[in-house]
Amino acid sequence: MRIGEIIETTSSGFVAESFELNRPPALGSLVLVRLPDETALYGAVTYGQTAGVDPSRRAVRRSTDVVFDGAIYEQHPELEHILRTEFGVALVGFVAAGRLRHHLPARPPPLHFSVQGVSREEVCYFTDGLLYFRLLLIPYGDVPPQQVLAANVRWVYEQRGHDDIWLDTAAREIATLLKNDSAALLTVLYAIDPGDVPMLREQGGVA
Amino acid sequence: MPLKLGLIGPQVDDMAQTIARLSPEHDRFLTEAQDLLRGLNADALREKLRWQQNQQMRLPWLVAMPRGSLSGTVTSPAPPVDFSVVGCDASSIPPDRHSSVRCYVLNVGYAFLTYGRRPSAVLEAQSQLCFRDQDLYVFPDRRDVPIEGALLGARMEVETLRVLQGVMENGARPALILRDGPLILWTLQSESKEVQRALLRDLFGSMDRLREAGVPLAGYISYTNSRDLANSLRVWLCLTQPNKCEHCQSEKRDLCMALAKMHDRELLGFLTEGERSELFGSSSQILEEYGDHRVEFFYLNVGGEIVRVEVPQWVGSDATLLEFVHAAINDQCRRSPCFPPYPPALLEAHEQAVITTVERRLVEEIIDRAVGRQGQRLVRSAKDDSKRRRGV
Repeated sequence: MRIGEIIETTSSGFVAESFELNRPPALGSLVLVRLPDETALYGAVTYGQTAGVDPSRRAVRRSTDVVFDGAIYEQHPELEHILRTEFGVALVGFVAAGRLRHHLPARPPPLHFSVQGVSREEVCYFTDGLLYFRLLLIPYGDVPPQQVLAANVRWVYEQRGHDDIWLDTAAREIATLLKNDSAALLTVLYAIDPGDVPMLREQGGVA
Repeated sequence: MPLKLGLIGPQVDDMAQTIARLSPEHDRFLTEAQDLLRGLNADALREKLRWQQNQQMRLPWLVAMPRGSLSGTVTSPAPPVDFSVVGCDASSIPPDRHSSVRCYVLNVGYAFLTYGRRPSAVLEAQSQLCFRDQDLYVFPDRRDVPIEGALLGARMEVETLRVLQGVMENGARPALILRDGPLILWTLQSESKEVQRALLRDLFGSMDRLREAGVPLAGYISYTNSRDLANSLRVWLCLTQPNKCEHCQSEKRDLCMALAKMHDRELLGFLTEGERSELFGSSSQILEEYGDHRVEFFYLNVGGEIVRVEVPQWVGSDATLLEFVHAAINDQCRRSPCFPPYPPALLEAHEQAVITTVERRLVEEIIDRAVGRQGQRLVRSAKDDSKRRRGV
């Protein structure tokens, strides 16, 4: 399903405009871009943002005592056209000629190409290996990479039908990656949710 | 910095002190003028204005001819449950005297906002490059009277209504077309009757069709500097002829001179939020060509400022349409996120119509390249070229 269109693109990621105002894909969720040569580029959402289409026009307060929240959009139908929601995506791998790779593709995805959501099968296929975590730890956007990684783990865990074995493997992979930065490690593990991380349960929680 | 701010600074202080010094006097005369307005019989004023207009000497000022009472107010009715407001605006890239290619660009922007049970919005612009003889001259057959300056402004008005007339053909009703600025094309006044009629013909054609479709049209003038009503009071006070002020011996001379600097928006400062004045007719000379589309106006307190709203006579004389115009504009200002409020439909139409400096350059480059591809060379004046280079 198409969920957005690429409006900025680089070798490490891209920015896409969401088709739905105020509804960017979830932080950490996987998206993909299909190229004409059947290559599929995978990325993880690193931030979402809603602002004026024209950067020189700042949003102003529109609520009143009786008109607020969703009603504001009904009272000001033009907002659907003068605001836009965009999201950032860090490239985390690709599938080309039937082979899955967890590293950056040779070229950035083309500008204006569609961004699509991924199916459960595609999530499972892409996340059976966890080498892509390394790319997620590279900052892309303003959200700290530890939060993006934790959000990705939470989202994939849901998509895989609460796969505890996968979650346990993911936590160990993260522990390996961040073994020299215990503060970052705890930040990620705590953001994943202590109750769901077997490693933390074994250690009696982060507190 | 070539501008000597050091020289201007003391003059600015002087001006600010002068304004502050004259303020109490202005306020005193404003109260006196408002008392006069409230106490004056509209029929008597109408009679005097008509008498003056029938004199050989034309009135030196624009005056407001009251259709109803002078100080009567009308509270805002509620808008219908479902309705639309179509704001429109236009801008242009005028013909460049310093270029060998003669053409101009018109950009008509509009915001079609629908409120009620099925809210929606269409924000659009229609752009066109005008380069043929019928675009460049008022009289293309004899290549006479080039369209530029005020005539280009009038052409924009014509084009705006033509675009909107098309937009409204399948649009929802009731709908109001709101134009940014006056409906009275007073800038054409210095042109010959032949030129005026040639330009206004198409404008009236579009207005005819809007009238047939039952779609009212209104011009919205924010922070109006009109003095029509103040001038009418001056005519009332005048004991001789309004163009012989230097010989005036009237005891009301000071009030009359104060009225010369007073704006109608100040005079009608007693309007409360949402209230409008009664209708007034304008004495603008160009309106003699307007026929059934002769423009009338009222003042409206939108909350934070008093604006002038101009409507064609067929709107002013139709109580239902006039009520809808009043209600829709007032509702627009209630929806405005700014203070003083400004109709969102006009704000968004402006955003659609505006041509940025970058876009102007881009159009220039596109034309330059297209002409080059045809083996032609676009020549610019030495003056223009030197200003672009600004070499040191």
